[in-house]
Amino acid sequence: MQLSSCFKFLLKLGLFVCSVNAVAGPMGFKDSFMAMGDFNKNWREVFVNYAITPRDAFGVGATYMRSDDETKTRTLEEFTYTSLLKRWNLPNSQANLWFTGGIGAIQGENDSVEKGHHFDKVMVTPGIQFDYETTRVYFAAAHRLYRAEDINHDFTSVRAGFSFYETDYDKTQPWAILEARNMNGLSEKIEVTPMLRLINKSYFVEAGINNSGQPRFNFMYIF
Amino acid sequence: MKKLLLASSIIAALFSQAAFATQTIKANVNGMVCAFCAQGIEKKMRALSQTKDVYVNLKQRIVAVELKDGQTLSNDTVKDLIKDAGYEVTSIEISSHPIEHIKAEMESK
Repeated sequence: MQLSSCFKFLLKLGLFVCSVNAVAGPMGFKDSFMAMGDFNKNWREVFVNYAITPRDAFGVGATYMRSDDETKTRTLEEFTYTSLLKRWNLPNSQANLWFTGGIGAIQGENDSVEKGHHFDKVMVTPGIQFDYETTRVYFAAAHRLYRAEDINHDFTSVRAGFSFYETDYDKTQPWAILEARNMNGLSEKIEVTPMLRLINKSYFVEAGINNSGQPRFNFMYIF
Repeated sequence: MKKLLLASSIIAALFSQAAFATQTIKANVNGMVCAFCAQGIEKKMRALSQTKDVYVNLKQRIVAVELKDGQTLSNDTVKDLIKDAGYEVTSIEISSHPIEHIKAEMESK
């Protein structure tokens, strides 16, 4: 319990975040659409954005959130803006600092307040993400606020991983990724998920099982 | 007369070969570490009417664009397109070899 609190504190202290739960870059190249999804039992998110410049993208997203004890459920629909604040293109690596913000409507049920208690509020979701990647290692940290009147579901995640081997540009590269994340007000636990990531020039998918035995699936697609 | 015709043929052949010699633009690119992220470079290059073929090598950090016969493409255009895809060109060289040759050369390293 003490270890869990300590880790949660470190997560919140040291990390920055992203919009769609720190999968990779949260937008594609100029004039491209990017679709992203992140699905598990208690958190499901889909997102589409369009890059109007190499650094700016506008989009829409929908998120379903549920507490571990299943007494709280929320659905969020939002308009989003993603900005590449800074990119470091190095000879053998790349690092990025991203901002993602959204504004939308959150609806929910809160049975812990009153059976069938329903609400509908405006939510804002500013967040930041830092990631670093080579052809063999990957690290990302993200923190995103999910705030509405009397609601705080801030989301924090850290991911790290390595590729099993280098591949040619047109081959599929497998990675092992470990993610730790927390959703404030929905879960007291740190969700830890080891995942297998497959990267190809056309698609990006991840699948794993978290420390509660629940399956998780992520994808990204650029068109 | 025969000599004149022969000389004309040789000159025409030389000029046509020069005009349609293979031209491949080879760019060294920083930050290119992930195929999924670098797909923008390939898509932008292939969208050009001058492009015959594109080759990307993440390990050697190379993007090669082979041009169609008689076509030209400025270095600045290549740099701008790669920048739009999110990367940085550190140098550019022009090769008279086709992509297949460059690919074989890169993969033998």
